[in-house]
Amino acid sequence: MSTIIVLTPIIIGSWPSIAAAVGGAAAALGLSVGQMGYEEAKDVLTEEEKERMTSVEVQVADSRVVAKGMGAQKEIVATRAGVELRIRRDETGKCVVCASGRDKGKAELTEMAEAFAAKVTQVYVYNKIMNELHARGMKVANEEVMKDKSIRINVSNEVD
Amino acid sequence: MAKHEVEITISAKGEVRVHVRGAKGKACMEYAKWLTEVVGRVKDQKLTSEYYEPDTKAAIKLQQKLHNIEE
Repeated sequence: MSTIIVLTPIIIGSWPSIAAAVGGAAAALGLSVGQMGYEEAKDVLTEEEKERMTSVEVQVADSRVVAKGMGAQKEIVATRAGVELRIRRDETGKCVVCASGRDKGKAELTEMAEAFAAKVTQVYVYNKIMNELHARGMKVANEEVMKDKSIRINVSNEVD
Repeated sequence: MAKHEVEITISAKGEVRVHVRGAKGKACMEYAKWLTEVVGRVKDQKLTSEYYEPDTKAAIKLQQKLHNIEE
């Protein structure tokens, strides 16, 4: 053994790189992406249905989405089991996850939003590391998803 | 030719644990520096005994010098 380091991720990226991580996270958690969300459907909801809606917002820790290159797409909508997760860049540039659902408690929605934010972070870091490994021509000897949902990558690098 | 092995574990929350094996001293720190630039900031770092061992080339040179002195 020689060294062990623990790193805290900082997400600073363009919208396309964040969107790629959101897509990967949604697929991993079994969420559907791109369907019409509650925000668009608000006009057709009755007053009673609107009252049954609950929303929470969670920030993706240490994130900053570069506004340049965002284009027309301002947010991504992912849905599962009556819960809608909207991922967007807030006015301060941070990446936020807003969870909404009918007849859902705040605690349940917060848990879902935090789980999704964590998955987006994991996928973003994974994509970034893999891109760097390929750019440096380093070989991935093994890659596996562990029981605790962590991703282990073994890299072998031969040097002169 | 030396073989460096790097084990990267990305936790479910995105925290990254890097374990470098086979690289010593400066080479070891280069991996740490590079991955810190890619991921974010260092939360914790532990150096083990192998880190303090000299590089293979330096060890060979030292052995050659000692051998020459003995002669």
